[in-house]
Amino acid sequence: MIMQTSQSGAVTVVTLSGEVDLSHSPNLRKVLMDLMLDKKAVVVELSGVSYIDSSGVAGLVEAYQMARKNGSPFTLAALADPVRRVLQLARLDRVFTIADTLEAALK
Amino acid sequence: MSKIQPDQGAGSSHLDLMIEMTSEFAMSQDVETTLRLGLTRVTERLHAEASSLFLLEPDTGELVCHASIGPTDLTGLRLAPGRGIVWRTVDLDSPQLVRDARLDPDFANSVDDATGFVTRSILCAPMSFRGQKLGAIELFNKQGGEAFTPTDAQLLRALSMSSALALINTRLVAGMAEQEGFRRELALASEIQRAMLPPPMPPGYPVHGVNLPARGVSGDFYEIVPLADGRIAFAIGDVSGKGVNASLLMTKTASLFRCLAKREDGPGRLLAAIDAELHETGLAGMFVTMLAGILDPKTGRVVLANAGHEPPLVRRDDGFHAIEDGMPPLGIAPDLFADGCPESVVDLNGGALYLFTDGLTEVRTHDGGMLGSDGAKGLFDAFAAMPAEERIQAIVHSLDGAGSLRDDVTLVVVEDVRPGGQSTFIRRYSARAETLAQIRADVTRTARELGCHDDLVQDVVLAVDEACQNVIRHAYMGGDGDVVVQVERDEDLLVIRLMDFAPPVEVAKIRPRALDDVRPGGLGTHLMRSIMDQVDFLPPPAGIGNLLQMVKRISP
Repeated sequence: MIMQTSQSGAVTVVTLSGEVDLSHSPNLRKVLMDLMLDKKAVVVELSGVSYIDSSGVAGLVEAYQMARKNGSPFTLAALADPVRRVLQLARLDRVFTIADTLEAALK
Repeated sequence: MSKIQPDQGAGSSHLDLMIEMTSEFAMSQDVETTLRLGLTRVTERLHAEASSLFLLEPDTGELVCHASIGPTDLTGLRLAPGRGIVWRTVDLDSPQLVRDARLDPDFANSVDDATGFVTRSILCAPMSFRGQKLGAIELFNKQGGEAFTPTDAQLLRALSMSSALALINTRLVAGMAEQEGFRRELALASEIQRAMLPPPMPPGYPVHGVNLPARGVSGDFYEIVPLADGRIAFAIGDVSGKGVNASLLMTKTASLFRCLAKREDGPGRLLAAIDAELHETGLAGMFVTMLAGILDPKTGRVVLANAGHEPPLVRRDDGFHAIEDGMPPLGIAPDLFADGCPESVVDLNGGALYLFTDGLTEVRTHDGGMLGSDGAKGLFDAFAAMPAEERIQAIVHSLDGAGSLRDDVTLVVVEDVRPGGQSTFIRRYSARAETLAQIRADVTRTARELGCHDDLVQDVVLAVDEACQNVIRHAYMGGDGDVVVQVERDEDLLVIRLMDFAPPVEVAKIRPRALDDVRPGGLGTHLMRSIMDQVDFLPPPAGIGNLLQMVKRISP
């Protein structure tokens, strides 16, 4: 898994690629939680993700819950197929705010 | 105040001598040197001109001189049972004080005659303790021409008694050292014996064996002998009894097998020939149970002959079959195998033949019972899809953990390795987050090979990954352990099994989350159940902690 963080105006963009599994998800969770504690507006860009498991999804869920409590925006953007499939299996595709592209998410 | 008598003065210093000598005896490792030193001290203290120390030799019944002081060295002199002052002392087990040797009818003057020494006075005390006679100490001629006194006799008796005790102790210690040496020899023997077992066979070879030793030298053996025509002879055996005798007989039987397997045609004649050879030399009431066979790897056909050994088990698609035919053990009676030994023909048909000693079936399980034939079948099932050489190791080592091994466990597996026989994937992994990528890669490749389309492969890989995460997090709870992943196709079903070696988990605690509940936990189990048609924890066989089976129908 490769994780990059960049700033686009007021929004922090976290770009994930590669395999997000149990050996990487604790790192993802920590980065997202730190952003949530700072009450940042966050977009997670997922177009390069080839695999994500429940532990990776759990990190996203936790971030989503905290963002909701804080009232700050949290968006998933440009879902690669494996991500879309897992969210669909977990019926979480109806929970998250999902944008088709990063540009759409930043609008 | 009465005047101190010279004799009493001497007596009190004799006490010092006794204490000194007794402690020397107690610390001595070399009894001969100590006895010689003791004899020198006594001779000086009692002012004797000469002295000898005789020890009884158990083999000959003779008294042999081990130490000698004085003008004539008598060391090595042997006294056959007879008269003489030394023998009288030993026979009566009491000190003999002879003031004038020439007046004693038992005095043998042959030594004097031979050496020119003139014996006048003799003091001889037995070396004995609680009736155990070891020899005697003899003093000759008090210096100054006087005779020995009764006080001298008492002192010599006391010293000879304590030296007898020292000698007994030293012999006991030597006996113990010999036993320790024997134990070391035994350990070496068992090491050599194990070195004589066949070396590990290469992966993919049709026959593999393993011997897991309990302790000491073993009576179990197995052999794998490739024949010139491509067939493979194999055997397993168990010698009655334990210890060195049994292990020597085992070594002999195994050597006979290696030697005769290349000459005799068929396992029946082979066993008959070994039986005949064993009867050539004595068996001392021991016997050998032995199972011999020959596999033709080109046909998957095995010819077997059984002399009193546990019936082997064939595992095929249609289940287990025990091959019950057989004869009594080898070494029972010389004419028993005169007409040969009946043979059974077994077609493996893609399956495997298991040969084992009773150490396997009689191993204690966690609940205190014995593994038994059903337990053994459960183990063969559990590890069935692993490569044979890994499987037999996994099986015997799962026993090691199941209970304490009281007997050797020996296991041989014979397989049909013809192409098309096996289409199952099985591999053992370390259960850690870092190995998940490898597991996903292996399952991806296997699922494709087994005919799953790409979308299904993706889902199945996710389900296996989630199941492995459960093993890592819930079964081992972050600790070290292994997980075995097995993938096979059964008609239109993809069957995946995960085995771990952790304590059984409480299935009820691993629930899928409710669908409207967006808490992170429980998501993995929900994914597994969403993807697969069936997800079940099955009753694990002995040695396995948890067995999870997941089944998915492969749509055309």
